[in-house]
Amino acid sequence: MDDLLLNQFLLLGAVLFCIGVYGVLARRNAVLVLMSIELILNAVNINLIAFGAFWGSITGSVFALFVIAIAAAEVGVGLAIVLLIYRNRRSVDLDDVAEMKG
Amino acid sequence: MLASLWQQLSDSPVPIDSVDLAWAGLAPVMILIGGALLILAVDSLVPRRLRPGSYALATVLLAAGAMVAAVPLWQRVQDAERGPFATAAGAIMVDGFSVFATFVILSAVILAALSFDGWLRREEMDGAEPYVLMLLSASGGVMMASANDLIVMFLGLEILSIAVYVLAAMHLRKITSQEAGVKYFVLGAFSSAFFLYGIALIYGGTGSTNLVRIATYLSATVLGDSGLVLAGLALLLVGFGFKVAAAPFHFWAPDVYQGAPTPSVAWMASGVKVAGFAGLLRVFYLAFSTYRLDWQPVIFVLAVLTMLVGSVLAVVQTDVKRMLAYSSINHAGFILVAVQAATAAGVQAALFYLAAYTFMVAGSFGVIAVVSRKGDIGTSLDDYRGLSRDRPVVAFAFALLLLAQAGVPLTSGFFAKFYVITAAIEAGSSTLAIIAMITAVISSYVYLRIIVAMYGAGDDVPAPRTIPLPAAAGLALVISLTVTMSVGVFPGTLASLAERATPVLIPESDPGAVDPSGVPPGP
Amino acid sequence: MVAQNVFFYLLAGIILFSAFRVVTSNNVVHAALYLVAVLAAVAAEYVLLAAEFVAATQVLVYIGAIIVLFLFGIMLTRAKLGSDQDLTHPHWALSAATAVVMFGVMGYALVDQFHWTATPLPADTRLVSVDGSNSATVSDSVFTAYLVPFEVVSVLLLAALVGAIVLARKD
Repeated sequence: MDDLLLNQFLLLGAVLFCIGVYGVLARRNAVLVLMSIELILNAVNINLIAFGAFWGSITGSVFALFVIAIAAAEVGVGLAIVLLIYRNRRSVDLDDVAEMKG
Repeated sequence: MLASLWQQLSDSPVPIDSVDLAWAGLAPVMILIGGALLILAVDSLVPRRLRPGSYALATVLLAAGAMVAAVPLWQRVQDAERGPFATAAGAIMVDGFSVFATFVILSAVILAALSFDGWLRREEMDGAEPYVLMLLSASGGVMMASANDLIVMFLGLEILSIAVYVLAAMHLRKITSQEAGVKYFVLGAFSSAFFLYGIALIYGGTGSTNLVRIATYLSATVLGDSGLVLAGLALLLVGFGFKVAAAPFHFWAPDVYQGAPTPSVAWMASGVKVAGFAGLLRVFYLAFSTYRLDWQPVIFVLAVLTMLVGSVLAVVQTDVKRMLAYSSINHAGFILVAVQAATAAGVQAALFYLAAYTFMVAGSFGVIAVVSRKGDIGTSLDDYRGLSRDRPVVAFAFALLLLAQAGVPLTSGFFAKFYVITAAIEAGSSTLAIIAMITAVISSYVYLRIIVAMYGAGDDVPAPRTIPLPAAAGLALVISLTVTMSVGVFPGTLASLAERATPVLIPESDPGAVDPSGVPPGP
Repeated sequence: MVAQNVFFYLLAGIILFSAFRVVTSNNVVHAALYLVAVLAAVAAEYVLLAAEFVAATQVLVYIGAIIVLFLFGIMLTRAKLGSDQDLTHPHWALSAATAVVMFGVMGYALVDQFHWTATPLPADTRLVSVDGSNSATVSDSVFTAYLVPFEVVSVLLLAALVGAIVLARKD
């Protein structure tokens, strides 16, 4: 119980990932769905850093940095799309997004 | 003071090792990115709008320039002495596979840009941004096809996707376009996150993100298959499956295809699909060939589901864009059949199919862009009644492209399906081949329905209307039709190109040790 | 070493509680603030693993920029300031079941691979290169082995920038 175990971090990441998945599936507000996706990306980063420490390679840290940059880009574009749809229909409820039927 | 600063800098005790970059190998990507920047710069410097059509022309020229830059690469990788090579510290792989996929992606850029030109002018949205986004998206696609490292693969996927989310939501006056954007973005970001988690697990299970090192590690490990790597592979498959619209990750496709601007859809159905399958083949067929007994059954199930969903649900649609959305799902299923074979013949069949399908689908959506009316509306089946009278040439071309998608002989679609089915039978999956043929018959009903609507006579044919055919869109139609028909008559040229486009893994330590047959080391 | 474990479980508790509140809170602004707590605690976990550069980036970019974007998004979409019952689907139990099943599969795969106690991390997880810090190693590899991916990230940001401008522009 003395050393840090790899699985501590991995299971923390797995729980965080699943909380994020729950958020994406269960939330109706588009902004909250985006936040849940951020939770998933953080879970990935915990995994990457822990694996990097485990394998003694820097790849994990570098990849985690890239993931943070990607998260910023995704949130930027995502919020722009959400604002666009809000401007037209005064709602960011994803359940209302059902104009097309098939 | 500057001098002392310079002194300090030059006395720096640890010089950074510079990376060995083979610039020629990156030339197509750099032309796309540099061209996008150039278009943006010109657009911001020119005070008034440029002549309409100049951005489309620039995009076509850039894509053609990137193709020209890729020709020496093709010659180099086919040269027995020089052969394929990895560059950028093993992150990028230039082999026949990547150059072939580059050519197909660039063709899709040209066709979509030609289709965009008239469409943007009709919608009064002419500007540089759609072209810039498409060029950037194409650069991401080329990176995916030539990625030798999962990091580059993921970055390519993200560039591709982010630009396409915007291209889908771009029509600011059409609510369904924005709905398409929101749907595509939320599901796309979700699937990218899965993909990323998959990469993290594979990194954890193998200690590397480099495809070569992963393959080496896996073939050196004689113990049973690792559950961690399998979980990672499953998550990667979710990400790829979403990008290529394979069932059960296809739910976005009909809505997005229907709502998004039609030329964007032409790009989504051609370029994005090619990039997605190129990445899928590279990761699964190359790096995880030792795990093929684990992933082949999963791809089998996906292929069956995808083909059934794509053919059966297409039958009940009344909107032509939705019909073609489901048909593109069916085509994705066909390519999955080729992936499932996991043989060199399967890879060739998949590449042939992708190349043939790109021209068919980009041409078809080009026709839809022309036939629709201002506001990007008028895509229901009823809007196609009487098209043979209003625009006989367009109707005839559309009919030929649809017959090609159905796989009628003398079109490229026939040979595409033929090679896929042959590869599946050779690999011992006759069941899959039979299911594929049945679904091909079911989905040909959909194409016939559109053709009958165009050529049908009777009371329900609406009054004649004039359908303007922009010159660029006409050119796109001519190109796609020429390729589709000539490949249908002389399939040998494209087939022999696809044959020489097998992907390879090159161990870093010994760049010279490439198997001359181009077949990667088996398990 | 015991101290590390104490900190780990403390931070893990903060992360999981706050993440749970992000996905269940009935108030959008509260959800954003709980997200800050998650991000900060995750950054602290990075420090535990001696990845201090990533931790600093996490604080600067995530908490400093992305959260601000989220708050702007909440403000511009005029979210209700009080509690709002419409934020979650009525059939959330199905989503919860999906997440639990997924955790079962992944937890099994992880424990199967690394066992619970058999795989400790190295006692010193620093990747010493030049001057004993991870940051130096990160910067070295970003400008050598990962030079091309690093440049590619800039293309990604360019695409996102152009895209956001296209969408945000008034017609």
